[in-house]
Amino acid sequence: MSRLDFLRGQVNEVSSPLAFSALSNRWKLAKADDFDSDLDVLNYALTLEYLEAEFYVQGNAAGLVKDDEKSFLDTIQSDEQFHVKALTDTIVKLGGTPVEKPWVDFGTAFDSRKSYLTTSHTFENVGVGAYLGAAGFIKDKAILQAAAGIFGVEARHAAIVGILLGLPAEGGVYMSAYETPIAKEDVLKAVAPFITKQMDGTPTGPADTGGGSTAIHKGDDTGLLVAGGAAVLGAAGALAYAANRKSTADDSQ
Amino acid sequence: MDDPRIFQGKPVLQFRTETSRRNFLKYAGLVGVGASFVAGGVFTAPMAAAASADQGGDIDILNYALTLEYLEADFYAMGLAKGLLADRELELVTPIGDHEKQHVAGVTAAVKAFGGTPVEKPKIKYPDGTFASRDSFLKTASMFEELGVTAYHGQVPLISSVDVLAAAASIAGVESRHAAVVDYLLGKNPFPNPIELHASMDQVLAVAGPLIVK
Repeated sequence: MSRLDFLRGQVNEVSSPLAFSALSNRWKLAKADDFDSDLDVLNYALTLEYLEAEFYVQGNAAGLVKDDEKSFLDTIQSDEQFHVKALTDTIVKLGGTPVEKPWVDFGTAFDSRKSYLTTSHTFENVGVGAYLGAAGFIKDKAILQAAAGIFGVEARHAAIVGILLGLPAEGGVYMSAYETPIAKEDVLKAVAPFITKQMDGTPTGPADTGGGSTAIHKGDDTGLLVAGGAAVLGAAGALAYAANRKSTADDSQ
Repeated sequence: MDDPRIFQGKPVLQFRTETSRRNFLKYAGLVGVGASFVAGGVFTAPMAAAASADQGGDIDILNYALTLEYLEADFYAMGLAKGLLADRELELVTPIGDHEKQHVAGVTAAVKAFGGTPVEKPKIKYPDGTFASRDSFLKTASMFEELGVTAYHGQVPLISSVDVLAAAASIAGVESRHAAVVDYLLGKNPFPNPIELHASMDQVLAVAGPLIVK
C-alpha cells in the first residue's frame, strides 16, 4: 500500500458482508504468533498511538482547520496523547520497555484541510481495526478493558471526522453495524509509508515526557517493518520527541 | 441535561411475564445492565462448539445485550417513524436504527449458537414527550448510547469466550460511533473522555434500575 492509497482512504474499503465474514474469521485472520504477550500488544498499540498523536500535532499546527473543526481536532490530539501516556505507563508498570516513538513523515497529508481530514479518517479507522484485531491476544482483563476503552474512542474520532468530511453516513461515518478487525500485518503495511527509516546512531536528545533518558537510534535496520513489529523497537525507553519531529524533514514520499 | 437519568428515571421496560422480568433482573445481578454487547450472524457452529466451559455466563451477557438491543432498536424505529429529523440528520440517524436491528438479529443468533434461549422482546413504554420533538428524541438517544457504551465497557472483563468478546467489541465500537454522532448533532462534545468509561454493576443498576417496571 502506498501513502497515496492511504491518503485516499483505500484501506477502508471493506464492505459490510466482507466485514461480517472477517468477523467470523476473526481468529483465522490473526496469526497465532502475531503477539507473544500483552506487552507485545501494548507496544504495537503504542506505536500506532505515537503516529496518531504526532499526526495531529503536526496537522493542527498547520492551520488548516478552524472553529468547531479545530476544537474537535484539538480534542482528538489530546486524546491520542493521553493514549500514548496511558500505554507507556502501563508498559512500564508491567516491567516492559515502551517502544520508542517512530520517526514519521506524513508527506502531503497537510497540504489541505481535505487531505488532513481524509488521512485522519483513515488513521482512525485503521486504529479501530487494529485494536479489534489485537484484542483477542490480550490475556490480562484489566488491560483488555483499557484497550477496549481506547478502541471505542478511536471509533468516535473516526465517526466525527467522517462527518466533518461530509462523507456518506454508511460507509463513511459508520462502517457497517459491526467494526471490522484488521490483522497486524495489514495495519503495519498501512502505516509503513509514514514511518521513516531511522538514522544511524543519531542521538535523539532528551525525551520531553516519560523516561527522561536519552534514546539512541541504533542503525538503519530497526525500522518498524524491517524489524517485524512494533514490539521489537523497544530500546532506550525514552520518547525522543524533539528529534523525531526533526526527522520528518527528510525522506519524504 | 435536566435530569441525567435516562428517561428521567421513569420506567420504560415492561415484561410480558414475571419470569422475563426476573430473568432480566437476574442478568442485572450477574453482569450489570446496558451491555450493548455481542453480535451477529457471526457465530458459526464451530465457534459455538469452541465456546468455553463458562459459556453460561456469556449466554447471560448475550441475553442481557439482547434486551438492550431490543430496546434501542424499538426506540429508533419509534423515533424515526415520527418524522422528527430531516436531511443530513436523518441520513446520520437512520443507519443507527438499522444497526440496532441488525444487533438484535445477530445477538439472537448468537444466543442460539451458544445453546441458550434468547430472551423475548420486552414490552416497552416510553414516557410522554420522548418523541415530542427532535430535541427530546436525540437527547434520549444520546443517553441511551452513552449508557450502553459505558455499561458495555464495564462487562468486557466478564466475557469468557474470545469469540463472544470479538463480536461484542465489534458492536461496542459501533455504539461508540452512534454516541459520538448523536452528541455531535446535539452540539455536545462527542469525545467526552479519552478512554471510554466503564460502569460497574452497581453503578449501572443505579441508573437502569428505575427503568424496570416492578
